[in-house]
Amino acid sequence: MAAQDRLTANTLTRAEPNAPVPLRPIPLLRVDGLSVSYGSHEVVTNVGFELGRGESLALIGESGSGKSTIARAVLRLLPSNGRATGRVVFDGQEVLGISERGFRPLRGRAIGFVPQDPANSLNPVRTIGAQAQEAAALLDEPDKRIRKQLVLETFAEVGLDNPRRVYDSYPHQLSGGMLQRVLIGLAILPRPALLVADEPTSALDVTIQKRILDLLTRLQHDLKISLLLITHDLAIAAERANALVVLKDGVIQEAGRTASVFSSPASAYARKLRADVPALNPDRYAALRDIGSRFLKTAAGTAPKIAVSAVTKTFNVDGKSLVAVDDLSFTVPAGTTHALVGESGSGKTTAVRLLLGLEQPDSGTISVAGEQIAGRSPGELRSAWRHLQLVYQNPFTSLDPTWTIERLVREPLDRFGIGTPKERDERVRKALADVGLGEHLLSRKPAALSGGQRQRVAIARSLVLKPDVIVLDEPTSALDVSVQAGIVEVLLSLQANLGLTYVFVSHDLALVRQLAHTVSVMHRGCIVEHGEVAEIFDNPQQPYTKALLASIPSGVADAAQAPHARPLLMAAAE
Amino acid sequence: MTNAYLSYAAKRLAQAFVVVLLAYVFTFMVVSILPGDPITNVLRDPQNGFTEDEIRQIIAAQGLDQPIPVQLWTSLSHFVAGDFGRSMRSNRPVATLIAEVLPSTLILASAAFAIALLLAVTIGYGTQFLPKRFGQGLLRGFPSLFLSVPNFVIGLVLIHLFGFQLGLFRVIAPDSFWATFFAAVALGVPVSARIAEVLIANLDKESEQEYASVARGRGLTRMRLFARHLLKPSSLPVITVTALAIGELLGGSLITETVFGRTGIGSLVQRSVSTQDLPVLQAVVSLAAVVFVLVNLIADLVYPLLDPRVKLIGGPRARPTTADDGAVATSVAATS
Repeated sequence: MAAQDRLTANTLTRAEPNAPVPLRPIPLLRVDGLSVSYGSHEVVTNVGFELGRGESLALIGESGSGKSTIARAVLRLLPSNGRATGRVVFDGQEVLGISERGFRPLRGRAIGFVPQDPANSLNPVRTIGAQAQEAAALLDEPDKRIRKQLVLETFAEVGLDNPRRVYDSYPHQLSGGMLQRVLIGLAILPRPALLVADEPTSALDVTIQKRILDLLTRLQHDLKISLLLITHDLAIAAERANALVVLKDGVIQEAGRTASVFSSPASAYARKLRADVPALNPDRYAALRDIGSRFLKTAAGTAPKIAVSAVTKTFNVDGKSLVAVDDLSFTVPAGTTHALVGESGSGKTTAVRLLLGLEQPDSGTISVAGEQIAGRSPGELRSAWRHLQLVYQNPFTSLDPTWTIERLVREPLDRFGIGTPKERDERVRKALADVGLGEHLLSRKPAALSGGQRQRVAIARSLVLKPDVIVLDEPTSALDVSVQAGIVEVLLSLQANLGLTYVFVSHDLALVRQLAHTVSVMHRGCIVEHGEVAEIFDNPQQPYTKALLASIPSGVADAAQAPHARPLLMAAAE
Repeated sequence: MTNAYLSYAAKRLAQAFVVVLLAYVFTFMVVSILPGDPITNVLRDPQNGFTEDEIRQIIAAQGLDQPIPVQLWTSLSHFVAGDFGRSMRSNRPVATLIAEVLPSTLILASAAFAIALLLAVTIGYGTQFLPKRFGQGLLRGFPSLFLSVPNFVIGLVLIHLFGFQLGLFRVIAPDSFWATFFAAVALGVPVSARIAEVLIANLDKESEQEYASVARGRGLTRMRLFARHLLKPSSLPVITVTALAIGELLGGSLITETVFGRTGIGSLVQRSVSTQDLPVLQAVVSLAAVVFVLVNLIADLVYPLLDPRVKLIGGPRARPTTADDGAVATSVAATS
């Protein structure tokens, strides 16, 4: 309730019907008392905010906070069982209650939409050009060739360097970053007054994320578009928006100008969100991480837990050979974490598969806990796998949905025939307790668990064999920032308690800084830079590493990116 | 038209040809293995009054005393050359018999097919966009209803309603426009049910895809969203079902022709079966196989043209560009 009061005082004009005309210009978008329910389940409760012309506002929260639902309510794209009540006033017109026919002229023309997942947001069986023509049809331009020209110009404007090729391509022929550029281009083509961007970069690599966000910021200022940005990352929101609205369980926790909410959050939840952003708190787990750092210092002279030496792997793609991993070498001392960092296509995944013995290298050697991995058959590797476990990227697909949690965690023990059934039960319970899950979950199925809980199950499943080495393949990339923080904490305390050695694969450098001891930066199959984490982060040598580091959202708006941010802030404060 | 597609098409064509030949061989073998010998039965029929010598002469003249593989070879080479032999009953060329009745069946089947497609797409559109209170749920029940009513029942009901009660057509003139139309309806309705079932399931799936939302956000009307975005990806699996449904049209035409008293392939088959007229049966079964294979061949050839994601085996694959590198320079230049 306190949050609600604060909100009214700070950011909302009071909603008296007979109030005098405010001195401030009428906001482009005003949301008032918005509640949304799916069936009988209310997911957004009494939310209100306003967004001025040319300004940007971010809705922040974890999954389930209702932020995307609010965006869809504004866009009137709720699923058929969704019901919205309250008021959404766009450009002086109430749009929540009007008919679909009455709202359609606003779609695209006045309100543009940039979706979350570019790969699924364009029709897969139609060319980009055919779909772009739909957006171009919103312009009052009867000549199809001129419309095509406008589309091509817009593609160039959003940084697509071969607009003609893009125009004739099908979606599956383009990368995620290019598709997101296309979608942004289609959204801005009719020059809407409002752009709603629903997690526009969560499916993209960190450097591409920065480029896309830069593009949005630039377009917003050049074209005077208002931006409603939905994100779970407070650092991104703070960097890109003039005002923030923090949501939890469909209720506003805190709202206000970015500067005040970000630097001095008033609500406990906003403070927690801020603390959970790795980029803002590189030393959050310093105490836990230092335990491993000691191993690093004493490691000299002893045999490393993992030794990868001059490994090369070439794939044959369409008759051309593609070097996925080129002369890869690194060692990991026992009890420490080594991070492999790089973007999609950098060879991280191939490196992981080689390390686990799922692929055979063309040359080079790999040894884990004294056992050779390269050149052995799966049958021979069975003994090695007892010491070497994998936690997969996506906990939504890595657990068999028809199995109970108990069966999932217990399976490795049954497979390797370890202990009596009673001992197995105990080890399953112990592993679950180690990752912070209660025994009441044992009989549940994965569908009943949240993403964070599922990833904990996946970790418990790898722990139950008491391995020495766990390979973590982007273990938090499918999870929210705050859920990620919980997983990171579990991983670090497990390492501190059990002396585990981790290979941590990620494209998120901020996260690497929080939990890894040593790091290898991969680019196009090669390691471009490696060393201790603090060293690389404080003093990067290679341009690629520098570019990666510069892509980490810092939460501070770059003055060059957002020239209007400051005057607007001041105008609003008056 | 790429090289990959052409070589794919050539392979499919060759496969189709082999399948037709195998179907012919299979039918021939089944007929020769079956107990009873319709040929000697016919010849020995006392009404024909052949003597044993004459019978032997006829059999030798027809090559029927040859071993089965030799007979098969003779018959197959005639078939490939387009010679289907002569009817054992009427002694007229089988090709002529079929040519007499084929147009009627073709008209019926293609009309039924058109009606089936139209009905399925209309039902599909209705299930997506008809307001709930106007019986969206009711429409969803149509396919299972259509499937569970045999088409002769539909035919009899249509004849009774439109023929006898409303007098729209005369039952004794089965080739008039309205009689043909209602026969086609009776034949097309169960086929439309099969197509509609798959179409509805896919429309449901596709309309929940993100791209449908994004397209709606672009201001498309429902009709355009349906016609331009949902229908094409939803009809990809439908093509397969449709090809299979053609088989149902062939089988169904037999019953429908009987119910409506039409002369067609159906009645020809019926007559040939009851009189054990083997050459006619062999030709009709082979013809059915040709139609079936041809329709599936068309489906296979159309599919990659409609879905750009289909990878043709043997041809160079469409490769997604993995890097955003091209855009980097422009973006950096534009934003800094």
